[in-house]
Amino acid sequence: MQRQLELELIRKCKAGQSRFYEPLVRAYEPAGLRLAVAMLGNTEDAKDALQMAFIKTYDTLPRFDLRRPFGPWFFQILRNQCRDLLRSRKAKFNVEALDEQIEQKPADAEGGPERTRQRSEAIELLWKGLEGIGTEHREILVLKELEGFRYSEIAQILEIPEGTVASRLYHARSALREALLQMDAEYP
Amino acid sequence: MASPISSDDLMRYLDGELSPEDRARVDTELGTSTELQREVAIFRALKSDFHELSFQPGRHTASVWDQVNRHVNRPIGWFLVIAGLVIWMTYGTYVFATSSVSSWEKLATGAIAIGILMLLASVIWERYQDWGTDPYRDIHR
Repeated sequence: MQRQLELELIRKCKAGQSRFYEPLVRAYEPAGLRLAVAMLGNTEDAKDALQMAFIKTYDTLPRFDLRRPFGPWFFQILRNQCRDLLRSRKAKFNVEALDEQIEQKPADAEGGPERTRQRSEAIELLWKGLEGIGTEHREILVLKELEGFRYSEIAQILEIPEGTVASRLYHARSALREALLQMDAEYP
Repeated sequence: MASPISSDDLMRYLDGELSPEDRARVDTELGTSTELQREVAIFRALKSDFHELSFQPGRHTASVWDQVNRHVNRPIGWFLVIAGLVIWMTYGTYVFATSSVSSWEKLATGAIAIGILMLLASVIWERYQDWGTDPYRDIHR
């Protein structure tokens, strides 16, 4: 969504015109759901967290500083919501329901069935690896690798200094690699 | 000899967050250190697998907008209803109290109105206490 349009929508919402919130929800819903699923491991919990995050975001819009970008601010609220959900429900990262609700990227036509099978196995292994590492590691990997945020944006979402992002990423990637190696995954 | 490239620089290199000068420095080191080459290959493989993991919500995953919309607009509705009720009740009480109806009629009607309000308040209080201890309150129907 264009920055100017986004700002205009936020201004209208701040003025109490809630109907202008819908385009913002629709625009951030896919990325928000990806982040929440990756943090919580299943669609049902992810949708609960996403719904609450949108509501909290709307409630706190009057305090939102229009000079700041909306995306990282929203993802910060969503990330906190996912963490609260994990704590309050004593929920565990759970990948059981994932395949039923989420469509993977379309199969590579040139790769054929063997390539598709290998890819499915690699994906399954990676989900299990993510299950084996801590929330702190998982969230930074998701923000970087799935959502493609810059370090400055990750720092804002996770409320940490920008200089800490690289070292957190190093530890998270190393932890994931370790978890994958323990499952006999082959890495170069 | 330890690599002059720190783990933080390595991450920034992989994620395209280094300045051109620092990137060139890492490239130079990569040309000479097989250990560093191996590390970069491992992390690149991880990154590549993550891109395979990218997914999108399924077609049958309904939007959360309806639920969000209900929460966003419901408080406004409640506020308007309660504000309207308070205004009407205050006005009604004033009109009734200053009317020419006899005192015993005012007392009897007032007692009924206060009784209904007390009953309503006790039911709401009970519901509130039950909600506080309801183990299923987070379950969505």
